[in-house]
Amino acid sequence: MNSLPLAPAIVTDMVGSGFIIVFSFLSLRYAWLLTKKQPENFLWGFLFYFCLTLAAFAISRAMGHLLKHILLFSGNQELWQIFAPVSGGTNTLLMTSLAAVTLYYHKGIEGYQAINRKAKSLKEAYDQLEVAAAQLQEMNLHLEEKVAERTHELSASEKKFRNLFNNSKDMVYFSDPRNHLLTMNSAGFKMLGYPSDGAQALDLADIFKHEKDWDSYHETLLSQGFIKDMEVEFAKADGSTISVLLSATAVYDDKNQFSGCEGIVKDLTRFKTMMAQLFASEKMASVGQMAAGVAHEINTPLGVILGYSQLMMDDFPPESEQAQNLAIIERQTKACRKIVADLLKFSRQSESAREDISINEILLDVIALTQHSLNMDHITVHQDFAQDLPPIVGDTERLRQVFVNLVNNAHHAMEKQGAGELTLISRYDPGRHEVVATVRDTGHGIPENIQPRIFDPFFTTKSVGKGTGLGLSVSYGIIQDHGGRIEVESPVANSQFGEKIQGAAFHVKLPVTLVEAASVSE
Amino acid sequence: MVILQTDQPSGPSKPLGKGNTLLLLLPLALLLAPDQAWALQSHGEPEGIYVHQLAHIFYAAALGYLFWDVGRNAFPGKGWRYLQLFCVLMILWNVVAFSGHWLGFHIDNSDLLRPSGYFSSQILGPISGVKLTYFCATLDHLLSVPALFFLFLSLRTLYHSSDTAEKK
Repeated sequence: MNSLPLAPAIVTDMVGSGFIIVFSFLSLRYAWLLTKKQPENFLWGFLFYFCLTLAAFAISRAMGHLLKHILLFSGNQELWQIFAPVSGGTNTLLMTSLAAVTLYYHKGIEGYQAINRKAKSLKEAYDQLEVAAAQLQEMNLHLEEKVAERTHELSASEKKFRNLFNNSKDMVYFSDPRNHLLTMNSAGFKMLGYPSDGAQALDLADIFKHEKDWDSYHETLLSQGFIKDMEVEFAKADGSTISVLLSATAVYDDKNQFSGCEGIVKDLTRFKTMMAQLFASEKMASVGQMAAGVAHEINTPLGVILGYSQLMMDDFPPESEQAQNLAIIERQTKACRKIVADLLKFSRQSESAREDISINEILLDVIALTQHSLNMDHITVHQDFAQDLPPIVGDTERLRQVFVNLVNNAHHAMEKQGAGELTLISRYDPGRHEVVATVRDTGHGIPENIQPRIFDPFFTTKSVGKGTGLGLSVSYGIIQDHGGRIEVESPVANSQFGEKIQGAAFHVKLPVTLVEAASVSE
Repeated sequence: MVILQTDQPSGPSKPLGKGNTLLLLLPLALLLAPDQAWALQSHGEPEGIYVHQLAHIFYAAALGYLFWDVGRNAFPGKGWRYLQLFCVLMILWNVVAFSGHWLGFHIDNSDLLRPSGYFSSQILGPISGVKLTYFCATLDHLLSVPALFFLFLSLRTLYHSSDTAEKK
């Protein structure tokens, strides 16, 4: 080969220079777009400055090359000799700048990465914060719902326990460490007979009847922390006593210090009364059984004694001493037979008739029988009879005997006073289907301690010879035989004023058959 | 014990010593009696081409670093691969350009002939390896144009991929 033509190199150089400019500017454009899109991205910033320098280099070099070709082509070689160092120097400068920009990238990227790491950690922290905030918000929202739900449950629970507290028929109380009553339900006030706003004025020690019970309660509560089923007596506002069953629990505060107690008290009065009645009933039943047996055994020999004494009286003249003695035997034997007969009546062994009778008529008969003797002792008789009482089924004679006994007892209770008031009352209790007849006096009354014994056979408070102690026993037996019951009340509660009146009242309660009761209701 | 006393009254000013007087007179003497100082280094003709060649080396080294760093950071996506291709081609271009400049020293004006103007320029034979290499080096745009093309592709791809990433 003799020579190498440089025309292809010149053409390549000129065309290539053009392409270099075009591609460098296209690159610069995209680099610019990237920086516009993500101005915070350091890499795009670097690429932009790199492309900018490269574009400058491309222009410098390409323009230089084109100028060279133009000047040499046009024969201005000397002119090119002037521009050549300028073009070459500029190219050198821009190449160095390109290299510097590229190397600067190293430090820049480190900074960018450090910033990125910080930004990433900040973003993570922010994300975590956002998640935490979202959770907190959700919790908050949930908390509100929870609070509302719990409040509702608490309200329902509070209402439930408030109702239990208010509606309880037993006393429920709360006291402070000094045993002052803080709160007590209405049943408690009613049980003790205090007005329902007097809790602050009440002290637990005051309502205990006996001091030893209070000491025991206090010591047990402090030592054991609770009291279960303690039987004590409480003093009511009016001074009377009630038997109660008490259970209490000590309350302690956060520092485990005794801060009071809460307790429940059950009124045992009714239970005790029922038990006493049951006991009395059982006792009367067994006494009646014994009395019946004794009466039967004694009745036969008494009949023989009476028969033989009457036969022997025929053998002696009436004025003779023997006849007189036999008359005494006959009289005393008859007295004994009467006692036996009474015992049989008490034990319900005697026969009785059954017919429809009116209590009011019986009471009027009794008044008629006893009026005279009562008047002698200045005892005023009052009648308070309910009209249209239903008839009861029973034995008129025996019931009359009951009321005569009761009136006589009332008479005896008032005769020493020289005056008094006897009231006979009849009522119908539609709830129990009972006719209630009451004999009430204003006598000395019956002491509480002997009330359970007054229906016992041969129990009497009268002086010797004035009574056998069988009157109330017989009355009890007769009423029991009629399916009723007899109750004593002393002193007597005044239904109008609620106060207690001296004296005694016997309430005879006799059942009415349902058919008869219905006719009365109509 | 040494007690420092700072409030002693200052004494009368001392006269300048001999050494100090000489130090003051020396710059004056230098100004008044100048000689060849060699204060400035003169730059001969080859210095420009040396600087240019060093710039090529510097540029190639910077591109090599960029290539390595892009690979090291494992930037994802085709755009960065195109950038690495640009780096490779530009490094090659630098090598070619450097070689072209260096070989230019070995080409004499007598080796070039323009029989009928600039466009008819040719390298006269016999064609040696140097002349052939020089000729090839004059075709450096065959490397630089594709390099710039890949740079363009790189940035365009990065732009579009950033677009896609944003949409995601």
